[in-house]
Amino acid sequence: MAAAAPEAGIPQPREAADNLTAKDVRDSPDPRDVVFSVRNLWKVFGPKAERIPEDDELTGLSAQELRERTGCTAAVRDVSFDVHKGEVFVVMGLSGSGKSTLVRCLTRLIEPTSGGLDMDGEDVRAMDKTKLRELRRRRAAMVFQHFGLLPHRSVIDNVAYGLEIQGVPRAERRERAAEMVEKVGLAGLENRRPGQLSGGQQQRVGLARALAVDPEVLLFDEPFSALDPLIRRDMQEEVVRLHEDEGRTMVFITHDLAEALRIGDRIALMRDGKIVQLGTPEEIVGSPADEYVRDFVQDVPREQVLTVRRAMRPAEGGETETGAALAPDTLVADAIEAVARSGGAARVMDGKRCLGIVDSTCLLNIVARIDAGEVAA
Amino acid sequence: MTAATPTASSATVPDQPGALQTALQSRGLRKILVLAVAAAVLVPLAHAKWSSGTWPSDLTVDLTGPLGRTSDWIIDNRDSHPLFVYFLGHLSNAVVISVRAVYQLLLLLGWTGVTAGVTLVAWRVAGVRIAATALISFAVSGALDMWLPTMQTLALMIVAVIASVAVGALLGLAGGLSERLFKILRPVLDTMQVLPAFAYLLPVVLIFGIGVPAALLATVVYAAPPMARLTALGLRGADPGVLEAVASLGATGRQRLLTARLPLARKELLLGLNQTIMMALSMAVIASMIGAAGLGDRVYQALASVDVGAALAAAVPIVLLAIVMDRTTAAAGERMGADPAARGPELLRGWRAWAGIAVLTALVTAAGRLAGSTVWPSGWTVAIARPVNDFKEWMVDHLYSGVPVVGGTADWAAHFTSWVLDPLRDGLTALPWWGALLIVAALAWVIGTWRTALTATLAMAAIGVLGVWKPSMNTLSQVLAALAVTLVLGFAVGILAAGSKRLEAILRPVLDVMQTMPQFVYLIPVVALFAVGRAPAAAAAVVYALPAVIRITTQGLRQVDPAAMESARSLGATRWQTLRQVQLPLARPALLLAVNQGVVLVLAVVIIGGLVGGGALGYDVVTGLATGDLALGLVAGVAIVCLGLMLDRVTQPTQRRTTGKGA
Repeated sequence: MAAAAPEAGIPQPREAADNLTAKDVRDSPDPRDVVFSVRNLWKVFGPKAERIPEDDELTGLSAQELRERTGCTAAVRDVSFDVHKGEVFVVMGLSGSGKSTLVRCLTRLIEPTSGGLDMDGEDVRAMDKTKLRELRRRRAAMVFQHFGLLPHRSVIDNVAYGLEIQGVPRAERRERAAEMVEKVGLAGLENRRPGQLSGGQQQRVGLARALAVDPEVLLFDEPFSALDPLIRRDMQEEVVRLHEDEGRTMVFITHDLAEALRIGDRIALMRDGKIVQLGTPEEIVGSPADEYVRDFVQDVPREQVLTVRRAMRPAEGGETETGAALAPDTLVADAIEAVARSGGAARVMDGKRCLGIVDSTCLLNIVARIDAGEVAA
Repeated sequence: MTAATPTASSATVPDQPGALQTALQSRGLRKILVLAVAAAVLVPLAHAKWSSGTWPSDLTVDLTGPLGRTSDWIIDNRDSHPLFVYFLGHLSNAVVISVRAVYQLLLLLGWTGVTAGVTLVAWRVAGVRIAATALISFAVSGALDMWLPTMQTLALMIVAVIASVAVGALLGLAGGLSERLFKILRPVLDTMQVLPAFAYLLPVVLIFGIGVPAALLATVVYAAPPMARLTALGLRGADPGVLEAVASLGATGRQRLLTARLPLARKELLLGLNQTIMMALSMAVIASMIGAAGLGDRVYQALASVDVGAALAAAVPIVLLAIVMDRTTAAAGERMGADPAARGPELLRGWRAWAGIAVLTALVTAAGRLAGSTVWPSGWTVAIARPVNDFKEWMVDHLYSGVPVVGGTADWAAHFTSWVLDPLRDGLTALPWWGALLIVAALAWVIGTWRTALTATLAMAAIGVLGVWKPSMNTLSQVLAALAVTLVLGFAVGILAAGSKRLEAILRPVLDVMQTMPQFVYLIPVVALFAVGRAPAAAAAVVYALPAVIRITTQGLRQVDPAAMESARSLGATRWQTLRQVQLPLARPALLLAVNQGVVLVLAVVIIGGLVGGGALGYDVVTGLATGDLALGLVAGVAIVCLGLMLDRVTQPTQRRTTGKGA
C-alpha cells in the first residue's frame, strides 16, 4: 500500500499543474488567459512618493539609501508578472519584503504609485470608484491573515456579508452562505459568533466569506500565518482541495517556503520590494537565481520538490529497453524508492519515448546538492 | 580608562561622572535649570516693576463693569433682539415644552405605570436583579414622599439625556470620521471633562436667565462631551483589519459605517451613554441652583437651612436613581457581546419583548388609574426627616466635641481648619505672585511637556488678571489639603487592595456605589458630621475623590508585568522591596493618572463646597446666582475654569496623550 501510493497518488496534481505552466511557457500567452497583468508596478510610501519611480537616479538606490535621501519607503519596486487563469500564484518573501502591499495593490486597497495593472485586459488603475467597487464585490475576494470577521455577527451572517454588500436579498444570500459554510466544513456552527471559534475555524469563515461571492480570483494574504502548525497544514490541504475542485485562480501570499512549495504552481520570491525570482517550485529550488534565493531554499528537502526530469542523465546503450519506468514529473523521493526496490537504474518515460535514465548516483546527487555540471567536471 | 574591561567600566560608571553631569542628564532637572535661568532674569524685572506679594493691581483687568453691562443688555433685550426672538427664544420654548410634556407623560402613567415600565425595561436589558433594584428604588422614592420631585428630576433627565446623546453622537460621528475635526474636538472635550460643574452654571444663566432652559442646557453642555468623546474614539478604534476586509468586499462608505464601524463601536457607544446619563444626573441635581425643580432643589433648600433630615430624604432617591441608571446601562453594555441564546427564550427577544413591556405597562397604568391613584399614596410614606434630624441633634450633642481621647468631629474640623487649611491658605496668599507662577510652570513642565506647562502658567496668570487671586488661593489651599489627604488614603488603600483579593472584593461594590453618586449628595453626610465650613467641604471632596484614586491605584498595581514581579521575587526581594522597587515604579503612569483624576474630582467638590461654607470661588458663584450679581459669579466661574485647567495640566502626565492616540 505504502509503496504504491506515492507513484499513483502524489504526482497526479503536480502533473496537472505542470501541464498548465508548461503550456503557458511554450505558447505565447493568450491574453484571455491572463487574469492579472502587472507591469512595472511601484508602491512608494512617504512624502511626494510619485516622483520616485520616474527618477532614474532614485530608483537605483537601495531601500535604506532611499529612506535616507527622500524619507520614502518603496514597498513594491518595479514589479512585473502575469497571473494565469486557474493557477495558484504564490508571492513569497520575508516580512517587510512588500508582498502584502503588492497583493493589496491588485484591488487597489492600497493605491499603487505607478505602473500598469490590468485585470482580464481591463486597466484597474483607470477604474472609477463604482467600477472598482464592482471588481471588489464580484471579481476578486480576499482572505486576510487576521480574518477580519465582524465580531457582532454570527458565522452565517459573516459569510453572507459580501452578498449583503452586493444587495442580494436576505433569503438568497443566507442560502448561498449556508452552502459555503458547509463547503468549508463548518456545518452546525452557523449561529456561533467568531469569538467562539478557534483560529482555524475563524479562517474557514473568512474563506467561506470570500468564496460566497463566487469571485474569479481568490487573494490570500498570509491566511494561515496566525494558525497553529497542525491546523495550518489542514488549511493548506483545504486550499489545495478547493483548487482541484474548482480550478479557481488564486494569488497566495506567504512567508512560509514550505507552504509556498506545497500549494504554488508558480512562485514569485520577493526581497526589498523586488521580485528576485519567478518560477515553478522546481525552478526555484533547482536553479536559484542568486545567493539570496539559494540561502532561502537551502534547507528544503530537494528530493521532495525536484523531479526526475532534473535528475536524469542521457541513456547509454541498452538502458532504454530495461528497468522500471517513471513519468518525467515523478518526484526524486519517489524515484529513490523505485530504484531502491528494483535494485537498478530506472527509465524516465514520456509515453513510449525514453527521455533518460536515473540511477542511484543521479538521485543521490540531487539529495547531496551536487549539480550535474559539477559531476561532469 | 580605555584598557578597562567592559564589566569593570560599567560597574564604576555611577561614580565616575560628576554630580553636575548626572544632574544634567536627568531631563527633569534640565528643565528646572532652564526655568531657573529664565526666572533669574525675569523675576527681578517683575519685582522692580510691580513688586512682589499678591497679584499686582496694575496687571488686573476689572471685568465687573463690562460683564454687568452685558448682563443688563441681555436682560433688556431678551424679548426684542432677533437673536433671542428667532433662535434662543425658540430653543428655550422647545426645552420648556418638551420637559413639561415628559413630566405630564410621567404623571399620566402614574406611580404604578412608571414603576412597572422602568422595572420591565431594566429586566429586559439588564436582567432580573437589576429589575428588582429598580422596583425597590422607585418604591423607596415614593415611600420617602419624594415621588413628584423624583418625576421632575426624571423628566429633566430624560430630555437632557436625549439631547446630550444626540449632540454628543453627532459631534462624535464627525470627530470619528474626520481627522481634522477630531484634532480640534479632542482637546476641547478633554478639557470640558475636567471642568467643575459649577463653571457651566453662570454662562447659561447669563443667556437664558434662571429657569428650566438654563438648567437643561447646562446639563447638556456638561453631559454631552463623554458621549462625543467615546463615539469618536469608538469609531476610530475599530479594528483596521475588519475595516480592510469590509473594503475588500466592495462596501460603500455608508455600508462601512452602518455595518461595520458603528456596530464595532457599540461598547464605546454604550459606555458613552452610561457616562452621559451619570453626568446628566449629577448636573441635573446641581442645576437646581439655576431653576431645575426636583430632587436637587429639595437638597439645595434643605442644605440652605442645614436641615440634614430633609436633605437626606431627597438624596436617597437621587442615589437610587443613579444606581438604577448606571447598572442598567452598564449591564446592557456587558450583555452586548454575549451570545444571544444566553439572553433567554426567543419569545422574550426583539420587538416582541418591547411590545410586551408596552402592553404590561399600559395595563398596570390602567389598573393604577382605576384604583384612583396616580401620585404615590400619601398613606404609604415614611417621614424620615424628623428622626434623622433627631439623630443629628444627638450627634451634635455627643459627637461634635468633648468625646474623650479622640475628640469630637467638630473639633477635628476645627483643627483641620486651623492647623492645615489656614496655614496653607496664608502661605499661598503670602507667596509672591511670580513664585506661584514659577512653581506651576516647573511642576507642569517636569511632569508633562512644555505645552502643558504653558497652558497651566497662562491659566494661573489669567486668575490673577481677573482680580480673584485671593479667593483662588483660598480654593487652591482647600484643593491641595484635600488632595493630600485623598492621595495618602487612596494610595494606602489601593496598595492594600492590590495585595489582597479579599479586600478588593469587599471594596468593589462600595466603590461602585460611591462612584455613581452625584457630587451634590456628598455634602449631606459631611454637614451632618462636621457642621459647615471649609473643613467639611474638603472632607466631602476627599470622600468623593477617594474611590477613583483607590480604583486607579489598585488597577495600576495589578497590571504591573507579572514577569517583572516574578523575577524580583526570584532574586529574593521581600514584599516591601518588590512593592517599592518594582511595583510602584512600574505603576507610575497609573499613579500619576490617579493624582490627575484626584485633583479634578477634588476641585469639583471643593467648589460645590461653597454651598456649605467652603467660601472662596464656589461661594462667589453661589452668591452671584443668589443675588443676581452675574458679573461676580461669572468672574468666579472663569477663575474656576482656569484653576481646573491649571490643576489638570500641572498633573497631566505625557502618558495620557500618547496612550490616547492608540485607542
